[in-house]
Amino acid sequence: MAADKGERESRRQKRSESSVDGQSKYGDEEPDFSDPEDFIDDVTDDELLGDLLKTKPKDTDSIDNVIIVDNIPVVGPERLPKLQNVVKKIYEKFGKIVNEFYPTADDDKTKGYLFIEYSNPQSAVDAVKSTNGYKLDKSHTFAVNLFSDYDKFENVKDDWEPPQPKPYKDLGNLRYWLQDPDCFDNYSVIYEGGEKTAIFQNTVHLSSVREPSLVEERARWTETYVRWSPQGTYLATLHQKGIALWGGPNFDQIMRFSHPGVQLIDFSPCERFMITFSPVPVKSEEPQSIVIFDIRTGQRKRGFNCEAQATWPIFKWSHDGKFFARLAPDTLSVYETNTFRLLDNKSLKIDGIRDFSWSPSDNYLAYWVPEENDIPARVTIISMPGRNEMCVRNLFNVADCRMHWQKNGDFLCVKVDRYSKAKKSEDTGQWKYSGIYYNFELFRIREKQIPVDKVECKENVLAFAWEPNGNKFAFIHGENPRISVSFYIVRPQGKVDSLKVFERRTANHLFWSPTGQFIVLAGLRNMNGVLEFIDTADMTVMNQTEHFMATDVEWDPTGRYVITGVSWWGHKVDNGYWLWSFQGRLLQKQQLDRFCQLLWRPRPPSLLASEEIKEIKKNLKKYSQRFEAQDRLRQSTVSTELLEKRRQLMLDFERYRQNKEDEFNDMKDRRIALRDGVDTDELDNLPDDEYDEEVVEFLLKVEEIILDEE
Amino acid sequence: MCDLNEILKPILLHGHERAITQIKYNREGDLIFSAAKDNQPNVWYSLNGERLGSFKGHNGAVWCIDVNWDTTKVLTGSADNSCKLWDCETGKNLNTLDVKNAVRTCGFSYSGNLIMYSTDKTMGHPCEIHIFDVGDPGQMKSGEPCMIIPVAGPKITSAIWGPYEEYIIAGLESGEICHFDTKTGEKLNAVKEHSKQINDLQLSLDFSMLMSASKDTTAKLYDTTTLKHMKTYKTERPVNSAALSPLQEHVVLGGGQEAMEVTTTSTRVGKFDARFYHLIFEEEFGRVKGHFGPINSLAFHPDGKSYSSGGEDGYVRVHYFDPEYFDFRFEF
Repeated sequence: MAADKGERESRRQKRSESSVDGQSKYGDEEPDFSDPEDFIDDVTDDELLGDLLKTKPKDTDSIDNVIIVDNIPVVGPERLPKLQNVVKKIYEKFGKIVNEFYPTADDDKTKGYLFIEYSNPQSAVDAVKSTNGYKLDKSHTFAVNLFSDYDKFENVKDDWEPPQPKPYKDLGNLRYWLQDPDCFDNYSVIYEGGEKTAIFQNTVHLSSVREPSLVEERARWTETYVRWSPQGTYLATLHQKGIALWGGPNFDQIMRFSHPGVQLIDFSPCERFMITFSPVPVKSEEPQSIVIFDIRTGQRKRGFNCEAQATWPIFKWSHDGKFFARLAPDTLSVYETNTFRLLDNKSLKIDGIRDFSWSPSDNYLAYWVPEENDIPARVTIISMPGRNEMCVRNLFNVADCRMHWQKNGDFLCVKVDRYSKAKKSEDTGQWKYSGIYYNFELFRIREKQIPVDKVECKENVLAFAWEPNGNKFAFIHGENPRISVSFYIVRPQGKVDSLKVFERRTANHLFWSPTGQFIVLAGLRNMNGVLEFIDTADMTVMNQTEHFMATDVEWDPTGRYVITGVSWWGHKVDNGYWLWSFQGRLLQKQQLDRFCQLLWRPRPPSLLASEEIKEIKKNLKKYSQRFEAQDRLRQSTVSTELLEKRRQLMLDFERYRQNKEDEFNDMKDRRIALRDGVDTDELDNLPDDEYDEEVVEFLLKVEEIILDEE
Repeated sequence: MCDLNEILKPILLHGHERAITQIKYNREGDLIFSAAKDNQPNVWYSLNGERLGSFKGHNGAVWCIDVNWDTTKVLTGSADNSCKLWDCETGKNLNTLDVKNAVRTCGFSYSGNLIMYSTDKTMGHPCEIHIFDVGDPGQMKSGEPCMIIPVAGPKITSAIWGPYEEYIIAGLESGEICHFDTKTGEKLNAVKEHSKQINDLQLSLDFSMLMSASKDTTAKLYDTTTLKHMKTYKTERPVNSAALSPLQEHVVLGGGQEAMEVTTTSTRVGKFDARFYHLIFEEEFGRVKGHFGPINSLAFHPDGKSYSSGGEDGYVRVHYFDPEYFDFRFEF
């Protein structure tokens, strides 16, 4: 320590000495800063002040910030300010506009394009991305480019070739299955808990063993479930990475669509587009939650974000696939599939809109809004794309509405839940309704001015369904165990009449045949799978039966068969499916280990004109004779096939037995030897003298009789 | 399909307090021997269902029972780690063979001179087949078998003597069926047609065919010597027992949802019916309801005119066939 201290002291002394020296050295003389004669400067400006140089303005600096907007209206000076205003409104959104320039021709009119300079390049890029193709009005669609790209477009190389169109890939006949001479339908089955997926053909009338014939079976074909496209052309399988579509006679892969984590899928009714949903967040500039693909090209058409909790399908398609729409708070956004942009560039502003639904046959759209501040709730039908109101119906005391279109678009039923009393809950701010009763508002779309009928129901309504291709509807009402099923008919130009009420039924689902007339009332899941087959032409119950614990009912697309299934997803034992005729006759039981899902392959709409169908219906007798003859023939071949099969089995077995009997007889001595010389081959061939007589007493009955004591 | 239920009026043998594990007829078919999870195997008259007597002495569930060809001796194997030999007439316990773990299967050979039993693989002891000569008092007293066949791998769940004492047919937990030579202990022959454990093995009257019942919901028919698979009978439930009719080309299958797996939803899902199939066509043609638990054991009367079933519900049901059963013919 002491040494340290000493050293420090001496240093301090030295410093003070030198300062004294400096003063004495430079105090009176200017120092010379110039370089010596032979000095070579080897330090560049960059090294010295690189950071400063970077901010030095360049000629090309602002080029990246500039965009060119083509196809703006040509206007004279008097209307220029108005145009500038409109344009500014559109382009202000993307960043601060530093400069805008409208070149004018000799007559002072604008030349139909303009330049906009932003304060930074990112704004310019965004503006190009979002407004290229923007429709200002019918005759002006903006073409927007970066100014820096201008050179690129101007100096196209002479040897540039337009991209070759992709060679057409012949996928074969994707509708081959419709050419089956017997019109057998296909269905897909997932079983073994999802391990295996198979396509079967419903050949219940053909084979002797009454089994479906396997078309294709693959292990791990899908990771979750499968879905047929609406006209049956494609089978979609879902995978972690996206979706694959399969089709053609060998179920080859038609197309692959990448969408990581995809969970839900929906097709446009025309089979041109597919919407997929994935909850997996992906870091990307483009919205990734919901993606629309073009099925034939595999192209991604547009992405959307999925902000709010909503039920799938979030986007609903119009019947021809021209439009699709989604609901947002107070708005209904209708998009068109030509451009994948909003129809007429704007959403429909509808305050309080709660739900909407497309007609399955026309570009009509029905929606409803609840009541608000003494304005009654209303259901509106509008036509698209004109947005003309076709019908408005005001409703009072509405708690909820549910819209059901008939398959042909002839009728719309709005099930209205109405209340007698409403109270706003103080804690949650939500309305609490009591004394709920139900109205069916029936819109006759095809009749003049869309008349509306009303059917009332005081009881709880559990299910509602229109007859496809017909004018009847059915609904289940009441509380367990007093459940009834009511049938009504909407008479053309007439009244709505009750046809029949089936009381005390076990049912929670209604399944109409796709061709109408026949219906299956089903008590699925907690109702143990009770089934009732009804012909609604004369309201007869054709069969009452059950498929114990059934979870699903699926009509085939022609209305000839019904399949009921017990899915492993819903119930863990007895998984499998049963095939019924439309009258409720059990045709086939198919037990499948951990059977999950069965889907009939849909058929495209008939190519026959309605007159041709009428013609066929008129001559039905002629056809049915032919088919009945065919059926009889088939039936007899079935029994001969079966008998032939049994005969063969019997023959084989007898041949096997012949040898065995000989072997058995050869071993007789050995048997007798093993059992001390006793032949035990027959039950009662012991020699008579070996029988011991024995009396065995059986107690037959115990009877206790109390005798009089006397 | 004929509803056999209407036709048959069964005799109910109610003498067990717990689930029946195995039933057997003697060679003449006048007696039925039943073992259950209670400790007392019983013997009954098959004609009227009267109980003849019990074999008292076990201290645990009795898994298996067998009777020799002249109905003089009875053999039982139990979870009390013993196999007991009884005098049939008096019910006296002749010998007790103590083992290290539970006895799962047991049986008399064709001559009745040899007995075998197999043990469970538990508590560090391996699964083994032991063979004794009944006629050798030394063996029976000391409990030293004349032959020990160790079984590596999956344990035996069902075993019977093959024809003429040459080999033992064993069904394993894995679904495999194999032959063990009684002289050398060698595994001779093996097939694996079932995917789950074998619950029962039975031979046809002339030993030429072997019937297996498996938890994989099927029963299968084999040629006994080659173990060549011939037929499969399919159900939707684990099959606990399957028997071949000595008279007709019929087989009967019994089983049902395992007690521990029966869902709480309904009693109907169990499917505790005995199901009749055609031996050759593999087609089901009749069912007999009655048990309210799985059927654990089935046996045909040696004359083929009646059969018995023992169930988890503790009942043995003796069914006599009606004339209509004998009239029923498959068209071919």
